[in-house]
Amino acid sequence: MNNGMDSMIDMYLFETNSLLEQLENIMLEAEKAKAFSSADIDEIFRIMHTIKGSSAMMEFDSISKVAHRFEDLFFIFRQNNTTDSLSEGMRKELFNLILRTNDFMRTEVAKIEQNEPISDNIDHFINDINTFIEKLNADEPSTLEAAEMTNAPAETNVTQNSAVLQSIPATASPYIVKILFDDGSGMEHLRAFIVKNAISDAIGNNFKFYPEDVEHNSETCNYIIDHGFFIFLDDESLMDATISAIKSAPNIASFEVIANPTVEATKTEEAKPELQQKEVTQSATAPVQNKSAKGSTPPAAQSQQAKQSIISVNLSKLDSLMAIVGEIVITESMVTSSPDLKGLKLDNFLKSTRQLRKLTDELQDIAMSMRMVPISGVFNKMNRIVRDMGQSLNKDVRLTIIGENTELDKTIVDSINDPLIHIVRNAMDHGIEETVEERLAAGKEPQGEIVLEAKHTGSDIMITIADDGVGVNTEKVLEKAKRNGILTKPESEYSKREILMLLLAPGFSTNETVTEYSGRGVGMDVVKQNIEKVGGIVSIESELGEGTCITLKIPLTLAIVDGMEIAVGKSTFTLPITNIRQSFKCTQEEIIYDSLGHEMIERMGNYYSIVRLHKLYNLETEVTDIEEGILVWVEASDISYCLFVDSFIGEQQVVVKPLPPYLNGFNIKNSGIAGCTILGDGNISIILDALSLQTAFENSL
Amino acid sequence: MKMENNLTDELLDDEFNLTEADENLNKYLTFISAELVYGIPIDNVVEIITNPGITSLPMVPSYVKGIMNLRGQIVPIIDIRQIMNKPVNEDAAITCVIILEIDSISIGVLVDTVLQVINVNNKLSDPPSKNLDFINGMTNLIDGTVMFSLDCQALISNK
Repeated sequence: MNNGMDSMIDMYLFETNSLLEQLENIMLEAEKAKAFSSADIDEIFRIMHTIKGSSAMMEFDSISKVAHRFEDLFFIFRQNNTTDSLSEGMRKELFNLILRTNDFMRTEVAKIEQNEPISDNIDHFINDINTFIEKLNADEPSTLEAAEMTNAPAETNVTQNSAVLQSIPATASPYIVKILFDDGSGMEHLRAFIVKNAISDAIGNNFKFYPEDVEHNSETCNYIIDHGFFIFLDDESLMDATISAIKSAPNIASFEVIANPTVEATKTEEAKPELQQKEVTQSATAPVQNKSAKGSTPPAAQSQQAKQSIISVNLSKLDSLMAIVGEIVITESMVTSSPDLKGLKLDNFLKSTRQLRKLTDELQDIAMSMRMVPISGVFNKMNRIVRDMGQSLNKDVRLTIIGENTELDKTIVDSINDPLIHIVRNAMDHGIEETVEERLAAGKEPQGEIVLEAKHTGSDIMITIADDGVGVNTEKVLEKAKRNGILTKPESEYSKREILMLLLAPGFSTNETVTEYSGRGVGMDVVKQNIEKVGGIVSIESELGEGTCITLKIPLTLAIVDGMEIAVGKSTFTLPITNIRQSFKCTQEEIIYDSLGHEMIERMGNYYSIVRLHKLYNLETEVTDIEEGILVWVEASDISYCLFVDSFIGEQQVVVKPLPPYLNGFNIKNSGIAGCTILGDGNISIILDALSLQTAFENSL
Repeated sequence: MKMENNLTDELLDDEFNLTEADENLNKYLTFISAELVYGIPIDNVVEIITNPGITSLPMVPSYVKGIMNLRGQIVPIIDIRQIMNKPVNEDAAITCVIILEIDSISIGVLVDTVLQVINVNNKLSDPPSKNLDFINGMTNLIDGTVMFSLDCQALISNK
């Protein structure tokens, strides 16, 4: 039971959250269009209805009450089929009200997720909605009628329902089992659903039950309390199994086997229990009413059918799947490159291993794709931020989203949420001009624009956040950086690029005053940290007066890396293939020395420093002559250099394992090490991080 | 805090001597490193591995020997000789690593020879010198040798 409860809550949270997200999207769309389409209204109505029902079922009363009032409100619009009749002010108020409700529900749902008690203090909310409905009625005589109509149908709906509920539908099944649950056991409809499942486990699905919508309709609860839950059986032979299933179900107060009076009546004309007989006469009209009652929620049924091709899976299961797939990939190469096979001629074996490799590759791709989610969830949240900030800062800004269907790893999507919020807030607060006049004076459209774009580039995803605002004033940045004492070299030596990178330095916030939205002094450096945590890179471009563009380059997934195994002395290192631009041999003559004796080499018109890995890491190797080893031209974000290593061992896909936490104390992340991996022979290979390797090299000079 | 501990230890010891109950014995795993005998509380010991493949790590203090693959788990190895400022055992035929788990952090210590599990029933004395970072007590064993107790907390604090 407990387990069932947990998974039910999970289901509830999942469903409610996605519904709320859907609601918000509709809202923001509608706000842009300045009106609701009748499809929107129907959709919102349906969402509220579903939330109301499922919340009541889970006994989250406050949510269900608010949803209920909301449903009422939209019922008015639904009657009118439009919100066009609303005045400008009213519409704004309506949008705010809806978004506030949405927020309220989100916080409550979040509380449920955290296992905290949800708040009962919803009176002001209900009041607000009521006032709004009253206003609607007062303002618009046409809507008044509608409102009256609303109230009326709403009530008749209930009475209709209860009329239905007083009886059981006519059935041809000769045997009826009536089940009553313990008094006050709560959520009787769910208990009924559990009983129904227990019976279908026992005898299969060849039986009927009433009320039929116990799973979704919490209103059936009252019916079950009053009348009981009915099972209809066609065959006496199934009776025993059914009864034992019922007996083993929890919270059953009593059950009763009744021979169907309709069937009996036709047979013997003998009225059995009078009460039953009465119900049968009523039941003649019941199915019709039942249909009309059901008619109010067909969209729900439809969308549920559409959803059935998707199942939700716990992320931890996907994680362990991914880990196992990773191990399989390693084991595969462990088997195929086993030292025992050396010197053997094994044609069939090689054929099979090629096949195996293909399959494991495919398996890995599929396992990886299961973790991929579209970025639209995160992007759409930005709509809300732009809207809210636009209102409170009095800036008219439109958000353009491009490529929201780009997919990336779920963990990465989660981790870029906060940085994106931060960047968009910054763009709204500092980027877009304070007033429309300013924009017009600069020869721009009065409406500001923020463009959010996501796209794939090889194994990375590029997310750009561009605004057409004032741009970054590099002089001011430099001045501020100087004041904050974060300059590391004379002012005049800073290039524009470097100045922009100062924005990402810790303790930098260009805004003089701390506003509600940004400028808490923990600005872009946190963004940078968060992005770097998932292996990404942040870069800023900006033209004064033309706008700012922030680019996040993030790897698609973290778990598996295509690596090149390289040897230095006795050690093996893995260098991510994506960082390797070229590898080549060079002659002594090509080496250029600077005044300090540091080695450099010219490639395609540029000069690159040579990083000798054996020197940097103090490794013993016989290959110290530049002509004997191999040079690897390494590129990572905006830096580039040549790494000198002994030799290449080969290309391999590796599963990244983090270094043990004990080692974090040695600042190992800054010594050019990204993690490690276990090779096919059980040995450990250290995965190099091209970016921090360069830093380590600079520091060692 | 230390005072208190000592006091309770003393009280406990007295009681133990009186009752000679077995359960108050503290079990230690003893090992030799650079001719000295050290002991580790047995609760922290997971297993003993001989001749593991150790991958050395660049740019870490020299007492961090590297990392090893313990059935898929990456475990850092530190050299007891080096944290005790002794010369590295260059010509050891067999390397012996004791895998410890301290506050759910796994770590391996490289030692010369593992001795045995012993019961220590007298209380540990403080070493006279405060300069020993990784020692939190010492005591005489039955055979007359002196055992230094390794301070596990200090081991994982990266000093």
